[in-house]
Amino acid sequence: MPKIWKFIRKNAKAWAIMLPSLVLFAFYIWVPLFQNISLSFYKTVGTTKVKFVGLEQYRLLFQSADFLKALGNTFEYALWSLVIGFLLPIVIALILNEVVHLRGLFRTMIYFPNIVPGIAVAIMWTFLFDPNPYGVLNSLFKTNNLWLNNEKAVIPLIVFTLTWKGAGATSLIYLANLQTIDKVYYEAARLEGASAWQRFWHVTLPHLKGQIKLLLIVQIISVFQVFYEPLVMTKGGGPNGASSTLVQLIYQIAFEEFDAGKAAALSVIVALILFMLTGLYFYLSKERRKQHGEITK
Amino acid sequence: MKLRNKTDGILNFSDYKKWYFKLFYAVLILVLLFIVFISVVPPLWVLISGFKDPSELFSPKFSFFPEHFRLSKIFDSWERLNVGKYYLNSIIVVAGSVVSAVLFNGLMAYVISVLKPAGHKIIYALLLMTMMIPAVTNMRTLLGNIAKLGLMQKYLPLWLSYGANVFYIVMFKTYFDSIPKPLIEAARLDGASNWQIFTRIVFPLSLPIVMVVSIFAINASWSDFLLPYLVLNSVPDKQTLMVRIYSVNMNPPSGMTQDQILMLIGLSIIPVLILFGIFQRQITDSVATTGIKE
Repeated sequence: MPKIWKFIRKNAKAWAIMLPSLVLFAFYIWVPLFQNISLSFYKTVGTTKVKFVGLEQYRLLFQSADFLKALGNTFEYALWSLVIGFLLPIVIALILNEVVHLRGLFRTMIYFPNIVPGIAVAIMWTFLFDPNPYGVLNSLFKTNNLWLNNEKAVIPLIVFTLTWKGAGATSLIYLANLQTIDKVYYEAARLEGASAWQRFWHVTLPHLKGQIKLLLIVQIISVFQVFYEPLVMTKGGGPNGASSTLVQLIYQIAFEEFDAGKAAALSVIVALILFMLTGLYFYLSKERRKQHGEITK
Repeated sequence: MKLRNKTDGILNFSDYKKWYFKLFYAVLILVLLFIVFISVVPPLWVLISGFKDPSELFSPKFSFFPEHFRLSKIFDSWERLNVGKYYLNSIIVVAGSVVSAVLFNGLMAYVISVLKPAGHKIIYALLLMTMMIPAVTNMRTLLGNIAKLGLMQKYLPLWLSYGANVFYIVMFKTYFDSIPKPLIEAARLDGASNWQIFTRIVFPLSLPIVMVVSIFAINASWSDFLLPYLVLNSVPDKQTLMVRIYSVNMNPPSGMTQDQILMLIGLSIIPVLILFGIFQRQITDSVATTGIKE
């Protein structure tokens, strides 16, 4: 008994200090998450549970064309974001690391798009991609492109928009990593007669590999969070839901179709996927720190 | 010539004695200039096009600059579009959000990094696991709970939402972890309480990270749209600038022209532009060290 008392007394103050923050996390994240899980097994009117239906909501989801379309789109987003958005920050970082003139200014200007509000970015590119002849890019290049109205182009264009906002910031993360490479490695390689390409391939790239793996997962995770852009740029999915994403579909089901149960089931699916990806991320980041000797046990 | 003294990186001064590496360097600079151009020009176009006449925006002949530039148009639009009111609402939301972002996440990180009570590891793991789950997935049930507490159409749920941000906790914790532990141990041996350790040692040493988190929180809550939109949807008088822009863009009220929408977007960018202008160093340095982008 006194042992438990001592244990509580030792920890009570610290627990009390973090209690308000914990209440906020519970309110904004954990409780809604569990409510979603519970809600997803019910048929609902508004947010009121009407009838327990087991896995029926999930079955209906997997049969719905909207869900399958959004799921397929998400993979397409992921593919395009690897093509357009994955290599670019690495290349920018490599260039920034070599350039000695105006480095600070380049760094700042390239980061700049990341601070422009997301809604402003989405509306801005909608203006630029205006399909009319007087649209900005159409009138500038004297073309008649449909841009976002073209079912085949809409996902790459939205990925381009995401990349425009995010690539500079990501490149700074790579740049910080590149700057930790000790120049003695390059000197040693040079003494061995390694060409510039060999120095890049055998010194720079291996050093960057752990970071690349981590940011690859972050990139895939970020695809599952695409929401503003299809909502604003294609007014919620575009021609035949060509650009709809899972998260945007959650919003649509919850706030336009008012089907809380179905939205909850979809939320649970998305949360599960992201749980697994996040787990993978932390596993790899632990491995990486082990290799760098930052974790000793 | 800086190239002659360059000793770091893949290419150094000895490489740059060769003409083809000099040419390669010129190409690198050109690529960077091109990327900077793409990064900077679209927002500039928005800022400038707000000054155009509506007819210019419907002309198939492209021109970057307006035919007639009247600086006073910005003040006309400010009044006509009621921007002052939305600015004020946004500022109220931002102010409360920053306070709660620093206070709640700072305290949580202090407990996890310094006090380390039993169970702190489990809690940190719980925080990290839910880090990547997008807000939209929880929005329907969260909104139901907000309504049950009678907090709809109020700013309080918007302010407090910034108190539960794992990214800020990670930023704080990374920083607290770097404070030398002997300093804290010595204070404890001298009989300082946890509260004194926080207010006299940890907090004064942490002003730089408090500033960085504040800057990130200002930018995030100024740009925030989803929760403010859903909570303030039915009270136009309390809407923030971003919520206003979203509503106007989705269903333009009669009389709102394209140049006015652009002006509104331009006016939403200017404050973050100023913020970035002042604190660019702190912002880019923090991204580089913590790997957290926003």
